[in-house]
Amino acid sequence: MVHYIEVKNLAFQYEEEPVLENISFEVDAEDFVMLTGENGAAKTTLLRNILGLLKPSKGSVRIASQNHFGEKLVVGYVSQQVASFNAGFPSTVLELVQSGRYQRGKWFKRLDKEDKMHVQRSLESVGMWDMRHKKIGELSGGQKQRISLARVFATDPDLFVLDEPTTGMDGNARKEFYKLLKHNCKEHGKGILMVTHDHEEIRHYADKHIELVRKEDSPWRCFSMDSCKELSKPHS
Amino acid sequence: MEMFFHGFMQRAFQASLLISLIAPVLGLFLILRRQSLMADTLSHVSLAGVALGLLIGVNPTWTNMLVVAVIAILLEYLRAVYRTYSEISIAILMSAGMALVLVLMGLSDGGATLSINQFLFGSIVTISEQQVWMLLMLTIIISLLYLVFRKPMYILTFDEETAFTAGLPINTMSVLFNVLTGITIAVIMPIVGALLVSAIIVLPAAISMRLSKSFNGVILIGIVIALIGMLSGLVASYEVGTPPGATITLILIVVFAITAFIKNVFRYNKFERFFKKSNI
Repeated sequence: MVHYIEVKNLAFQYEEEPVLENISFEVDAEDFVMLTGENGAAKTTLLRNILGLLKPSKGSVRIASQNHFGEKLVVGYVSQQVASFNAGFPSTVLELVQSGRYQRGKWFKRLDKEDKMHVQRSLESVGMWDMRHKKIGELSGGQKQRISLARVFATDPDLFVLDEPTTGMDGNARKEFYKLLKHNCKEHGKGILMVTHDHEEIRHYADKHIELVRKEDSPWRCFSMDSCKELSKPHS
Repeated sequence: MEMFFHGFMQRAFQASLLISLIAPVLGLFLILRRQSLMADTLSHVSLAGVALGLLIGVNPTWTNMLVVAVIAILLEYLRAVYRTYSEISIAILMSAGMALVLVLMGLSDGGATLSINQFLFGSIVTISEQQVWMLLMLTIIISLLYLVFRKPMYILTFDEETAFTAGLPINTMSVLFNVLTGITIAVIMPIVGALLVSAIIVLPAAISMRLSKSFNGVILIGIVIALIGMLSGLVASYEVGTPPGATITLILIVVFAITAFIKNVFRYNKFERFFKKSNI
């Protein structure tokens, strides 16, 4: 079976300094994997290696080209840097979230009724539908985070790659968000890899837990994988 | 009315109309990609193309386009090398371009200096029919490319990492965009002048960005502003006898100042109404 993400013995170094070593794991359809580690544990670096934004110095990363239905696999990525939102970017919330649909074979086609319904549902799911005509530069940090998530939901990706997506959310919003992810994962067969600091709360929703830990035997600030633990669920 | 009977003014109006259609499109992408100064760099470099053409006795328009296209590719390469400080690539190539112009002018006889002056400041009298046709072709190409690649360009401009993970060939797109900008500058430069070509490309989009919330709105308003600036600048230039590029640029800067003023007044009134309503 082809895994959505397959990481084998990955190592990465900035110039001469090793940052990541011995990373191996898989993410599949219907997998909800959380990735944790202390501050500066190279979690984002690992995600960027997986997405091809950085090149591993050793090992390999493979993202499947097709989903389990034999269609082109679509990746939805939400980066940590909400601050990278260009405050002056001339776009409404609606335009930006609609752009998530382009990846669904709409680069050169008009968005149809179904696309628009999808966009509306995505905006409603993060409570931003009423703000759809606002310019994105006028939004607060938390609102920008929410429309980034709405955009990725609008894309309806097969694989979610999320880097601390709940920054700026309160407890209730976080719970609703995790439920939504879980629903997407189990009911719609999506694969999810999510970097988070919130591991106590999310362990009720995630299936696997990967923790990056500092290598004791390395003179560098280098991180490795502790293990990929299956998480037991409380009986409900 | 008399000006409309001159062949050179008719060509100037035709050229202005076409420039007004493409300038805001390129200008908006340049601004959003933090490449406003790239237009300036390419216009300086394109002078080197002109100087090269004059030196080797080839039509300067062709050497100009070739040199600008090569530099546009190099610019993208340097932008990738100095990703965090992308303005370094602009500084390197702008000075390299000017140095090349001066060296090439030194190697040629005095005739080249005269022609370079024309390209430096632009001249509506010298617009040929061939240039108008070239501009028309360029306008058609850019308009078609915009209509077809509007969505990928929107994502690329919003965030390159998002564009990459969406599977877009971001490097190829960036290089093609730079080359297209370079060719546009090479074609427009003899008309408006190398010193002001970037202002004419960037200003309409810079003004319209303050006036519209949506991406398409910015481009549409930008076209209207470019038309106002280009056509009124051309008329003023004819009537007063000032250089067209400089006149158009000054009019666009006045429009920029007026829109900024009106917007601030509007915002102030909005705040005042809010405070009155809230009894603060």
